[in-house]
Amino acid sequence: MTSSSASPPELEEVRRRVFLALFVALAVALHTVEVLLPNPLPWFRIGLANILALTALFSYGIQALWIVSISRILIGSLLLGSLFSPGFLLSLGGGLVANTLMSFGYKLWQNKIGPVGVSVLGALGHVTGQLLIAWLVVIRHPSIWMLLPFFLLFALISGIVNGLAADYLLTSLYKHPAFARLKQNQDIANSEPHLEP
Amino acid sequence: MKAIGWVQRLTPFDRKLLIVVAVLVALSFLLPLSQSVGARVIVSSDDRVIFVAPLNKEQRIELEGPLGITVLQIENGSARIVSSPCPHKICIGMGKVSHTGDLLACLPNHLVIRIEGDSAGEDAEYDFIVR
Repeated sequence: MTSSSASPPELEEVRRRVFLALFVALAVALHTVEVLLPNPLPWFRIGLANILALTALFSYGIQALWIVSISRILIGSLLLGSLFSPGFLLSLGGGLVANTLMSFGYKLWQNKIGPVGVSVLGALGHVTGQLLIAWLVVIRHPSIWMLLPFFLLFALISGIVNGLAADYLLTSLYKHPAFARLKQNQDIANSEPHLEP
Repeated sequence: MKAIGWVQRLTPFDRKLLIVVAVLVALSFLLPLSQSVGARVIVSSDDRVIFVAPLNKEQRIELEGPLGITVLQIENGSARIVSSPCPHKICIGMGKVSHTGDLLACLPNHLVIRIEGDSAGEDAEYDFIVR
């Protein structure tokens, strides 16, 4: 399929880097467009960039998730001119909690959880992390936690939407020969016998 | 969006997880609504507490601020601002407050009035504090 003279492992490594770079670029693009879109509810973002982070997670693992996610936050806020501003801290805080939850969920329920499940975990984590930073840094008033239920509800819905988009993207990507090796690994991982009693 | 088609993209575990999460989110809506009726009014000017009073005693208090005197009325277990020298009178429009954590504020006059609950704070021993 490919006319490369490199050995397969090398090729896979190069592919991984190229695709991760593409994912980061796409994530930044989505992040930027999303922030610029008119929105009646401030701070209620759908978080479309997470779609790419999820794709990276299910394609290349937890390290890839962190690479794409953190890069997106840094580069996105650099482009929007909000690097190191309170908005950036909120984004970073939310991103860290979200990534931790997603890594946990993915690791813990390795073969059982799908993109939608991880996405919902990530969305809830992101929202909680943002409120946490907002409480600690911006508005030191416990009443801010009154917003939590509404944020959680929005996060649940947008988490499902993002997860579905990521699932769609993943199934489309797996059809491409460049991802054939990954699909093989996934299938091997999925068909491994469980060592549970 | 098709009604049930998207559910097929979820693994069985995802569906269980979603149900658990949905229940948790629904529960989170109930927590703040079970608020207790407040016990004390705490008035601060520029983040400095200048007045504390219980909610059960009916009284009318004049609060001093940079713009002038804001009058606070405590009656029937709730507090409200009756008059204020601010230009927009938003504080009066905020109405009555009686639950723990409720807030009245007259920002032009630098006044914030909070309701605090029954849990003993550092001022629990005092009936009035004027600084």
